[in-house]
Amino acid sequence: MRVRGVAGPGAMTLPGSRKGEPSRLRDVGVLERVGLVLLALLLMASLAAPLFVLDPVISVGPAFQAPSWEHFFGTDDVGQDIFSRVMYGLRTSWLSAVAVIVSAIVIGGSIGLVAGARGGWLDALLMRLTDTFLALPGPVLAIAVAAALGASLRNTVIGIAVVWWPWYARLVRGEVRALATRPHVDAARLSGVSSSRLMLRHLLPGALPPVIVTASLDIQILVLTLAGLSFIGLGAPPPTPELGAMAARGADYLFASPWIPLAPGVAVFVLAVAANLAGDGIRDLFDRR
Amino acid sequence: MSPVALSRPVAVADVAGLRVSFTRNGSQLQALRGVDLRIEPGEIVGLVGESGSGKTVLGLSMLGLLPHAAQVDGTVTVDGVELNGADDSARRRLRQRALGAVFQDPMTSLDPTMRIGRQVHEVAGSTAEVLRLLEAVGIPDGQRRLRDFPHELSGGLRQRVMLAIALSGRPKLVIADEPTTALDVTVQAQVLTLFRRMRDEFGCAILLVTHDLAVASTVADRICVLYGGLVSEVGPVRSVLDRPAHPYTAALMASRIGFQADRDWQLPIIAGEPTHPASNPTGCNFAPRCPAVAPLCWEQRPALAAVQQHGGLAACHYQAGEDVARMLSAVVAPWITTTSKIREGGATVRQLSVRFPGRRGLHRSESFDALSDVNLAVAPGEAIALVGESGSGKTTLLRVIAGLQAPTSGSVTLGGSRRRPQMVFQDAGSSFTPWLTIGQHLEERVAHLPATSRRERVLEVLKRLGLPGEIARARAHQLSGGQRQRAALARTVIEPPDLLLCDEPISALDASLAATVLNLLGRLRRELGFAMVFVTHDLAAARLVADRIVVMKGGRIVEEGASDAVIERPTDPYTHTLLASVPEVASCG
Repeated sequence: MRVRGVAGPGAMTLPGSRKGEPSRLRDVGVLERVGLVLLALLLMASLAAPLFVLDPVISVGPAFQAPSWEHFFGTDDVGQDIFSRVMYGLRTSWLSAVAVIVSAIVIGGSIGLVAGARGGWLDALLMRLTDTFLALPGPVLAIAVAAALGASLRNTVIGIAVVWWPWYARLVRGEVRALATRPHVDAARLSGVSSSRLMLRHLLPGALPPVIVTASLDIQILVLTLAGLSFIGLGAPPPTPELGAMAARGADYLFASPWIPLAPGVAVFVLAVAANLAGDGIRDLFDRR
Repeated sequence: MSPVALSRPVAVADVAGLRVSFTRNGSQLQALRGVDLRIEPGEIVGLVGESGSGKTVLGLSMLGLLPHAAQVDGTVTVDGVELNGADDSARRRLRQRALGAVFQDPMTSLDPTMRIGRQVHEVAGSTAEVLRLLEAVGIPDGQRRLRDFPHELSGGLRQRVMLAIALSGRPKLVIADEPTTALDVTVQAQVLTLFRRMRDEFGCAILLVTHDLAVASTVADRICVLYGGLVSEVGPVRSVLDRPAHPYTAALMASRIGFQADRDWQLPIIAGEPTHPASNPTGCNFAPRCPAVAPLCWEQRPALAAVQQHGGLAACHYQAGEDVARMLSAVVAPWITTTSKIREGGATVRQLSVRFPGRRGLHRSESFDALSDVNLAVAPGEAIALVGESGSGKTTLLRVIAGLQAPTSGSVTLGGSRRRPQMVFQDAGSSFTPWLTIGQHLEERVAHLPATSRRERVLEVLKRLGLPGEIARARAHQLSGGQRQRAALARTVIEPPDLLLCDEPISALDASLAATVLNLLGRLRRELGFAMVFVTHDLAAARLVADRIVVMKGGRIVEEGASDAVIERPTDPYTHTLLASVPEVASCG
């Protein structure tokens, strides 16, 4: 909110520095904007998929049909419409990646916030715990979780989330620690604010921009990781439309009916590229350093 | 030397009609609105102005270091090269040949990973020259210092290294931007003397950018006063400060905090806010604040015109400086003597020690005693000034009293209701959480009240400090320096404290703003009856605000007594040194 006539020359920091200034869409490059728009379109289309595509898990016609106006990406070995399955698959990939990120931010963010704001032994304890989780190899743990709980998309997501949150814990903890030494935190303490309010109002918002930037770049890695795990069989069991699993199942027909494995593969690629570019765009918007 | 002597020596720097503006969020912010300034060879020019007056931008433009985003109009000619039209490599060659620069914080200007010998060597070229330069800037035992890293030097020595680097190319002009602001008074005095000596030895001209009139008056030959991006007055430093022709200069002189100021009277100040960089006044940009404003001032911008009384130039239609000085001293009021009631409170500090443990491992450091066995009693309603240099422990003591730092041993007992003391921070802007509004900060202090009365209290306290109600919806970075100071004070008194702690609240402010803050503190203290501990390195300010002065050095109290007694008859040699180092506006003796 800008208040007219309030800003004064004292408010003018040295030219060139952009501290404390709202970022503008103008700072975002062309490719990054394309990425943001493409990602938005993909998301809207995949979320609205149930409204305009066929049921992804029933046979809608003969198997192995090449792409046509009727079936954009053709049909697969059991006659399911690949376009419909890809749209649902995009949705699943995206939502699973978001689920991992959100849980990582919530878990890692809380731990990092408490560790950074409290400091002392609690900080040491929480950070050593975080380090322990960082030492776990992600895919191996995901396989272990899938093996223990059964192979399903949900279990894969849990497996990945378990190894993903420590990065956010460290990130938030570092940011909060840096913020905690600043005078505004002392000033807030003297104002008599409670420690929870101090954390949530005076510290957390300052740590969010780098978290958003990291999250926006992480989405792409997660889409690929999840698709990869599904590809090796740690994911949604058939006939669930999941891009990695679809590509794996279609690999047998790579030469006879290449559209069956390629359509989901290309979809993963497009989603990852769009997410990556959009992530860069979001970084440009939020990162003030 | 050309045999044909020119009537006027060629200026080392000549700025003509310089306009610099930046576009931000669609609005054009003007830093300089048409500045003319000549610097003659070997001359020291003091460039004075409050923050936002454009003095730093003017310094940067003479170095050819304006950011590319700046819109620049007019000419800046340094040693025969016109900088605004020159390309980057021409500017670089000019900087190498003719320019040197010293900035406020030598720690950020020096490379922390490089030994200082190498840093000076990079520009000096040979070890012999490095040693000669280090000796010239008064670094004792230069040979040994060569292998030191910047963090191993004191602030004063670091600034001397910066000066050695600046002087290494035998520059014709050195731009020094607030070079002593971050230094202690005693070190500041030495560095200022050094500037004069450097000019005499190296023959370079110096542009000394500062917010402190006294600093400018101790070293400069000429003074140039900037206001709202325009030169308001320029001329020989003594005569300008003695007989200012511009109302703004007169006001700065009137509100300066000296040892002569009468403690029973408020400091004379000019009301109002400095020129907004996005505004475009048709008339004089000082008109809204000028006590002697006339209709012409609103219509026509005054040009710089010769001033008879000091031989310089001033941009005022009426050259009303002396009238304004008279008007300001006529309207000052004595402090109200009827203090409503003294709040219970105060604090007792007993045998307080704070030791910061040293670090082990790669970055080994010794442990450090910030405070050793300090005893201090603050009576209810009393004002105490803690005076000392950096490392004296004054800020640590304040933080322990505030409860922000735990003591190693000893105790702090708060009197009365034992309510949490409030604190005014050195940088008012950074004491606000950047993403919260002023109103949200103020309401936090009265969180126990229902929402509607919280808002009433906020508006009430803003009004009390002379701020409009809409400030409550602004964030700190949207306010001017003066508004930020007032907002920070509003936060401390929205719920009147028993004890107010002030950590160098005026050290970075220009004279008029510093006087405003001292007046506000004086008024609030008398109205609300709280006790106050005021940390400062400025003895004149200490005398003005406090009943008692406590001088600290190396974590101990070396002298304490009634304010006037300490200033007039100091007993400790250290207090003597401090008093002798204070730069005073020399002309008013």
